This record gives sequence, structure tokens and C-alpha cells, in this order.
Amino acid sequence: MDKHTQPAFDRAEFDRMADEWRYIMTDMICRAGSGHLGGAFSLVEVVMTLYYRIMRTDPANPRWDERDRLVLSKGHAAPVLYLALAYQGFFPMAWLKTLNADGTKLPSHADARFVPGIDMTTGSLGQGLSCACGAAHAARLDGKKHNVFCIIGDGESNEGQNWEAAMFAGHHKLDNLVAITDYNKLQIDDFTDRLLTLEPLCDKWRAFGWEVFEMDGHDWDAIYKTINAAIAARGKPAMIIAHTIKAKGCCLVENKPESHNIKVPDQATYDKFLNSLTAKATLPY
Amino acid sequence: MGKNFHDMEMRFVYGETLNELIEQNPAVMCLEADLSKASGTNPTVSGKHPANFLNIGVAEANMIGIAAGLASEGKVPFCASFTCFATRRVYDQVTISVAYANTNVKIVGTAPGITAGPNGGTHMCFQDLAIMRAMPNMHVYSPCDALDLRSIMRYMAASRQPTYMQLIRSKVPKVFDSEYAFNPEKAVVLREGSDVTLVSTGYMTQFAVAVMDELKSAGVSVELLHYPSVKPFDVATLVASAQKTRGVVTVENQNIIGGLGGAVCEVLSEQCPTRVKRLGVPNQFGEVASEQYLFDKHGFGPKHIADACQHMAAERKTK
Repeated sequence: MDKHTQPAFDRAEFDRMADEWRYIMTDMICRAGSGHLGGAFSLVEVVMTLYYRIMRTDPANPRWDERDRLVLSKGHAAPVLYLALAYQGFFPMAWLKTLNADGTKLPSHADARFVPGIDMTTGSLGQGLSCACGAAHAARLDGKKHNVFCIIGDGESNEGQNWEAAMFAGHHKLDNLVAITDYNKLQIDDFTDRLLTLEPLCDKWRAFGWEVFEMDGHDWDAIYKTINAAIAARGKPAMIIAHTIKAKGCCLVENKPESHNIKVPDQATYDKFLNSLTAKATLPY
Repeated sequence: MGKNFHDMEMRFVYGETLNELIEQNPAVMCLEADLSKASGTNPTVSGKHPANFLNIGVAEANMIGIAAGLASEGKVPFCASFTCFATRRVYDQVTISVAYANTNVKIVGTAPGITAGPNGGTHMCFQDLAIMRAMPNMHVYSPCDALDLRSIMRYMAASRQPTYMQLIRSKVPKVFDSEYAFNPEKAVVLREGSDVTLVSTGYMTQFAVAVMDELKSAGVSVELLHYPSVKPFDVATLVASAQKTRGVVTVENQNIIGGLGGAVCEVLSEQCPTRVKRLGVPNQFGEVASEQYLFDKHGFGPKHIADACQHMAAERKTK
């Protein structure tokens, strides 16, 4: 039996799990007193699809050489990655409630030093795509077949280093690299279009030599189909522009700039956030 | 008969040594950001080991990130650029993707300090030892001659340590007669003496050696310590020497703030309070000028080293 085979897709189960992840993340962030809720929520369906339907990983052997890699360049979305890794069995569920606690293994930003299953430490925006290029280039040099995935933010795309990496990947035709832009149209201070427009975003990536795809980043079928198409693309790196909604499912701050880093000073605010979620769930810790 | 590396420009020693390291370990890689000829790796490395050579283009930040990604896959990337671009331009990339993430990346800053010469003030980086030293996880080395360079590079390729190394590009006079087992925890006692301790690193060590005879003739017994590693810093050798001489002079091809002189003062003020005179660039930017002009302007050439040692020895004797 191939230990890397994932269970068949069950829409109702995935919907239920997405609700659960959002509920747990809200609890984790509220316990911590603050945290990056919006950009983690916008990635729930994308990250779940990657770990449950696309990526080959081995929770019992996180450094398995043939695994697919993921660089979460927008490292502040770490909570959603922690959910995926905990659910996949990379570490105990009990770790989840320690987000940002003193001495935690789960800091606010993705940390490969402490967390089994994280391939690159990130947190300073703009650096992850370069790292993913390096990992993809190394795989090619060594004749390895795995893919390197990289998730960048739309606000993060303001950083010039992304475009240096874009040029490099295009020039070197890194077709084992699949990048995804979490295009939730919001950055910390404002809507991206008002602060520093990214448009025409698809054209930009095409101009840098990438195969470009667009998808609804909350539609299970679209995500699965589009990522597979991006993996299949040959001769070019692939960029998927994932149209998402920041803080999706948390009506208190959904699609609002203040969802980026919510502040939860007291029990009343904690209750308000949990009650504003689309669905309730049971905490696994 | 072996190659005489002392007869070569240091950048070509760098290139040839990289080739040897690649031949010993194919995971070693040479990364450049469009300055490969200046670093001595093109065509030395690019021609001989094209698969291990990666020219990123004029994009140093991307070079550091790519190196971190390569290192995460087991490669051992050596990334070279002028010191100004290899350190201050990419300080956050080096801090997060290399030092904080603890990736096995080697960063090489070429043409350190005044050796940037005709490229002038924009390219003269006087703070790289200071800023790289202030970064947790980062080792900071500055070889003084061709054999020192080779010893250090062998160590770098074998260690799993994020490392920054200064690389002088030109030919420099011999200090070491043979390669040695570089140990970042150990300074090299080049001369033993009792009146004054002279501490140097990198480019300035040759000048410190050059004034030893003159000082001896003047009756000053100098203990000369070369620090190929500025971090980690060998505390024991410095403290033992300072306890003996009670006077220390430092000289570096850097701003006197935070580099070698800074390290010496930190150690001595805590462990062996001792009078220290720091020679180097006194908190100023560089400029297009000859080496002699810059030595004289800032007061850290051979003459100033000799004067400072004599002055320090005299001062100690009158107490």
C-alpha cells in the first residue's frame, strides 16, 4: 500500500473540515490575544486541498526526500499551515493551543526549525519565492521528481524580491515550481487596489515567463483542477492567481482590512469572534 | 610541485579552491550576482563546473533566498558579491532566510573596505564585520592571505554553519607558510611579545606583520594576534595577552565601531580592563582615493600602526 495515498474527496467532509479549521484557528488566535486571522482564513481551501489531495508527504518522516515541498512565503498565515500539519499527523493536536505562547513550537510565523513538516522558515515578506526557486533548482540538479509549491500574498507582491525571483524562475524555466498568489485583495492598511494596485496581475506573471492560471480559491473542484493543470504545465513555472476572500467565514471582519491581525483583549471579544463564524466545531485539544 | 597560491590574486585562489571543494563534494555551489569575474569564479568555476555555478543576475536579495532554498535541499552555496551588496544591501534576507532559518549558506563579501578602491564611497563598506557580527548564528571570518583563505574555505565547506567571509580580491603578501587547520575558536599568535598586544584581521594583518621588524628595532616587544574569525571570538588568547602586556592596539579595514576593535573592547572591558587604541576608519564613509591617501586620512596604515604600538608601549612603561 502506498502510504502517501490520500482518501477520496468527500465534499461534505471537506466542508465540515473547513468549518472546523476556521473555528479552531479562531480559538488559537483568540487564546493568543491577537493574530493573523484574515490571511489564514483565505487559504483554508487551498491549503487543505494541497495537503489532502495534491502533495505527497509523509507525516511519519517529515524530511522524506521525495516529498513535495511547500514554502508559505506569507509566513503570517502559519495558523492554517499548522492546522493542515496537525490534521495530517505531523505533530500532536495539543500543540495547536500553544500558538504564540511562551516557549511554543508554533510561533506566529512559519518556522521550519521547530515544526515538523515545514520546509522553509518565513516571516519577512518577499523572501519565500526566492527560497522556493532555490529548492526547485536543487531538485532539478539532482534529477528529483517532486514539486515545490510556494504561496505568496497579494500585499506581499509589493516586495521587489518577488519579481527578482519571478525573473529567475522564468529564465530557468523551473516547471517543478508552482506558485499560488492568495489574492484576497486586501493588505494591512487597505484594499490592494487602493494602496498599490497589482493589476494587471496575470499579465505581469506572463510577462516574466510564467504559465498563469486563475481560480476561485474557495471552490474545491476549481482548486483541485487548477493546481493539477499547473503541475502539468511544462517548460515554464506556474503561477495560480487564487481569488479569495480575506477572513472568509468570520462575518465580523470578513473582507475588511482589520481582519489582518485581530486583537482579542477580553472574553467578550473572544465570544464575539467565535459567534461570528459560519459554523461551530469541537476543539480537538 | 604544488601551485604557489601566494603568487595568485586572492579572487583566483577563491575560484580554484571552490573548484577543489566542488570536486570533493558535488553539493558545493558557486552563486554569483553578475560579479563573477570580479570574484574570480568566471571562468575558473563556471567553465569547469557549470552545473555548480549559478549566476543569479543583479539581484542579491534573490541570490540569498535562492541560496537558502538550495541549502534546505542539502547544497552548500557560496554566494559572492562586493561586501556592500553581500551584507548591508541584503541584511534582512541574510538575517531571516539564512541566520534565523539556520540554513547552511556561505556569504562572501569581496573587495572589503578600502580595497574597493576606484569604486569609491558608494562601494566602500566599512561596517560589514560589525553588522554581520551582530547577527545570531552567523560566523564572521576575514582571511589575511591565500593560505589563510584556503584553510578557512575548507572549514566553511565542511561546517554546517551560516558564515560570512571577507574576500580580498588582489594578490597579498604571504603571512602563512602553509595551510593550517583553521579553528574559528582560535586566534593565531603570529609574534610573541610583552610590551603591547596588536590585534588585526583580514587585509590589515599583512601591514601589521610588515612593521614588526621596525618595532623590534625600536625596542618594542609586540605580541601580534591575527583573528581570522572575528566571530566566534577567541577570548582566551586575547585576555592572556592583555594580562601580559596591559596595552592593546587594534587595526582593521573597517569602521572602528563594532568590528574587530569593538569585539576586543567588549571582551576586555568585561574580563580584563585594559587600555585599547582602535585603528581603522573613524565613523566616516569612504571615497575614491588611493590606499595611501585613505590610510593617511584615517590613520590606520603601517606608519600609524607602528606609532600606535610605540605610543601604547611607552604609555604602559611610564605607569
